[in-house]
Amino acid sequence: MPHAIRLYVRTMDRASRAIGRATMLLIFAMMAVLFWSAISKNTPGLLPSLWTLEVAQFLMVTYFLIGGSYALMHESHVRMDLLYGMWSRRTKTWVDVVTILFLIFYLGVLLYGGLSSTAYALEYGERSYSAWRPYMAPIKIIMCLGIGLTLLQAFAELFKDIARLRGEEIGLPTESAS
Amino acid sequence: QSTIRWRLQTYAGPALAEHVIKPSIDAFNKVAGDQMQIELYYADQLVPTGELFRAMQRGTIDAVQSDDDSIAAPVDISVFGGYFPFATRYSLDVPVLFNRYGLREIWEEAYGEIDGVTWLSAGAWDPCHFNTKEPIRSLDDLKGLRVFTFPTAGRFLSRFGVVPVTLPWEDVEVAVQTGELDGIAWSGITEDYTVGWSKVTPYFLTNNISGAWCGSYFANSERWAELPENLKELFKLCMDSSHYYRQYWYWGGEADLRVNGTDMELTSIPDAEWQTVEDEAMKFWDEIAAESDRNARVVKILKDYNATMRKAGTPYRCG
Amino acid sequence: MSYEMIALLMFASMMLMLLTGQRVFAAIGFVAVAAALLLWGDGGSEIGFSAAMKLMKWYPLLTLPLFIYMGYMLSESGIADDLYKMFHVWFGPVRGGLAIGTIGLMVAISAMNGLSVAGMAIGATIALPELLRRNYDKIMVTGVIQAGSSLGILVPPSVVLVLYGMIARQPVGQLWLAGVTPGLMMAGLFVLYIAVRCWFQPSLGPTLSKEERDVPLAEKLLLLRAGVLPLLIFFCMMGLFVLGYTSLVESSAVGALAATLAALVKRRVTRAVMGEVLRKTLGVSCMFMWIILAALCFGAVFDGLGAVRAIETLFVDRLGLGPWEILILMQLSFLLMGTFLDDTAMLVIVAPLYVPLVGHLGFDLVWYGVLYTITCQIAYMTPPFGYNLFLMRAMAPPEVTLIDIYRSIVPFVAVMAVGLALVMAFPQIALWLPQMVYAR
Ligand code: NA
Ligand code: NA
Repeated sequence: MPHAIRLYVRTMDRASRAIGRATMLLIFAMMAVLFWSAISKNTPGLLPSLWTLEVAQFLMVTYFLIGGSYALMHESHVRMDLLYGMWSRRTKTWVDVVTILFLIFYLGVLLYGGLSSTAYALEYGERSYSAWRPYMAPIKIIMCLGIGLTLLQAFAELFKDIARLRGEEIGLPTESAS
Repeated sequence: QSTIRWRLQTYAGPALAEHVIKPSIDAFNKVAGDQMQIELYYADQLVPTGELFRAMQRGTIDAVQSDDDSIAAPVDISVFGGYFPFATRYSLDVPVLFNRYGLREIWEEAYGEIDGVTWLSAGAWDPCHFNTKEPIRSLDDLKGLRVFTFPTAGRFLSRFGVVPVTLPWEDVEVAVQTGELDGIAWSGITEDYTVGWSKVTPYFLTNNISGAWCGSYFANSERWAELPENLKELFKLCMDSSHYYRQYWYWGGEADLRVNGTDMELTSIPDAEWQTVEDEAMKFWDEIAAESDRNARVVKILKDYNATMRKAGTPYRCG
Repeated sequence: MSYEMIALLMFASMMLMLLTGQRVFAAIGFVAVAAALLLWGDGGSEIGFSAAMKLMKWYPLLTLPLFIYMGYMLSESGIADDLYKMFHVWFGPVRGGLAIGTIGLMVAISAMNGLSVAGMAIGATIALPELLRRNYDKIMVTGVIQAGSSLGILVPPSVVLVLYGMIARQPVGQLWLAGVTPGLMMAGLFVLYIAVRCWFQPSLGPTLSKEERDVPLAEKLLLLRAGVLPLLIFFCMMGLFVLGYTSLVESSAVGALAATLAALVKRRVTRAVMGEVLRKTLGVSCMFMWIILAALCFGAVFDGLGAVRAIETLFVDRLGLGPWEILILMQLSFLLMGTFLDDTAMLVIVAPLYVPLVGHLGFDLVWYGVLYTITCQIAYMTPPFGYNLFLMRAMAPPEVTLIDIYRSIVPFVAVMAVGLALVMAFPQIALWLPQMVYAR
């Protein structure tokens, strides 16, 4: 494979791994926010916080969208393997090279909608419909980043499969599990 | 020539939409026949309510029924949509303000500045009361109460220790049962019974923070411009018929259910104490008026109108 | 294009996409956005993203990553090993006793996490090797573990019932309570099946050897302590929730925290363990969330193109069926689709079509939630598509072949079908507990 592509794949893999590892920690942030929510409303003298629910929602959507590229790289997504399971490794790779184009198309449309919605949020200073009224642009930007990263990782997966068909392994090894 | 098809999403859930919009859309479809059909969708069905304005601007949705506040319409005056505290006393106030006191022109001006969306018409809904799990008998009972309400009403009520919570409308009943909410300040008693909230919140506070909700119809500007004149007129008639239906449905329901409803116990905050809330609202009005020149014009109209009504005396203003 | 045609085309192309073995969420998402671009008109391109905003606002969905975390934390914490030892010693002397004990273990695990995956992992890593070593029939025990772990979504807490509650707009507290009795009944039916089968064919589940059985009573009683911690976790999570101190999502955070504390107390938390738990939690959460994301988009497009109306007309007007016939037909179609589709996707795509109809027909939606969940369990078990099949294949020792895995589920699916029929015929099995607790 051309040097530029190998470099791209390695860079993406490294980025996805590093970002994924950081994203994993957000589960503690979600726990902390919700735990605070439970405490603040059950402690006499403390008023329930306005922001906990929305912050937790923002964390959740960040968690799985920014984590998307890590999950893609580590094959976390289920496939229906009725036929797929019976094919040889090489046949699978051939099929993957074609089907990942559908994934890329989906992610592209998702990103397009995200950018358009983010542009709107920036243009009109959109705020959430709630009493806390946070600006919506930051979370929408994060969502677009996550979708964009996942899209870039999808291209990396495509290149890896093409390389595999030519007898090369160019990606980083994945971390164990799931 | 093929049938024109519109997707219209209301911010109301199915149980409510059955009254507040569906009859008029059914009538529209019957009259328009092969020329045009409108598909009605309910709260969050195609697009989440927070995204509705944007979706309409982009043409994902062709038309919307909602208050300006709920869909976070990007205009300064959106705070007056929904329940602007103490702006109105009765549901007839809304059409009078729009058609006789100049709010219509102001709304047209404001939405004229926004690309892609045309504001069509505003009408009144019900008053805004509290329905809660525990009885409210004084302002103190409001402290720390987690309540589903409109953002602007929520901003105002938070001055009395209320914690406003915003959820998708359809999740509210469940949230009351699971402890996410202590109550609701979102409607009058007609809706409480219609949507089933009366079963989960046994107490109804007779004091209201607004006598009528103000909600509008909007359409994607291109879609609206494309309509032949006869269909535009037909759509206007249907909006009016929906406004009219709500006038008598709520007005009759509010009185009847207070007297004959069996699910909820009525409680009140004494008038003298409630007066402090009204006084606070006047301060809130001034703050909103300071936000923009257009807001100041609206607040002035509200003040003039209410002054006139007070001077006119019974039955326009009692007590 | 007619609505019927659109409905047919969208479903057919999705099935085709799934058959290529690509990632499930990509297959669903692609069909959704392609249909939107082709058929929706202006603005069709935005529906994919507005589904993401919708998902964000579905606040009970927060329970999903937290329950997944909790399940993995428990399986790493060693609580499961202690529990297994307890069930093992107490049930060992009976024919098929270890398999029965495994069902007990699975019920306990189910009461502490909201999905089936953690139970599956625990069963396959802790119980399966022991059972095989004791010469239990490999086909039977593989089935026991898969069937047992499927209770994770029926016995509270249950993520599937949370998702159902969001779609059907039913209170999650009642749904969870409604799952308790059917869950225990189902476990009871499994035990009955194992006991009867092993009574007639003792070779399937031999009793423990004399030495192994010979545990002093004091020691046996001491082992019961293993049950204390799980009970504590269950009650601090469910108790606070049912009493109204914490909301649903807050309870899931309390549960996750409790599981972490339990693991800390048992000194099982190392860097490596923590890393493993966090990795798996992110991976599995992403798997579910991306499927839900794509399925929400699919659902909105399907609805916006008018296909939902086509299905309603088909059931109600065209076929002219009575309520029970429609209900049974729905369950059958759910089962059929469930064999091909992932249960999450099925819920998000299909339930919005069916649930309102069930309500219209006058059925209780809490009760239907339980029926739905049992159907999901069956769908989850049956080939060609089911998580358990993936997981079992990945975790089972080599002597368990794919054919074994497929064969192992047959009797248990039959038992589940009996359970489903019982709950259908006697709704009180599900409704008695929530009605008693929530009676004012
Ligand atoms: Na469970
Ligand atoms: Na299946």
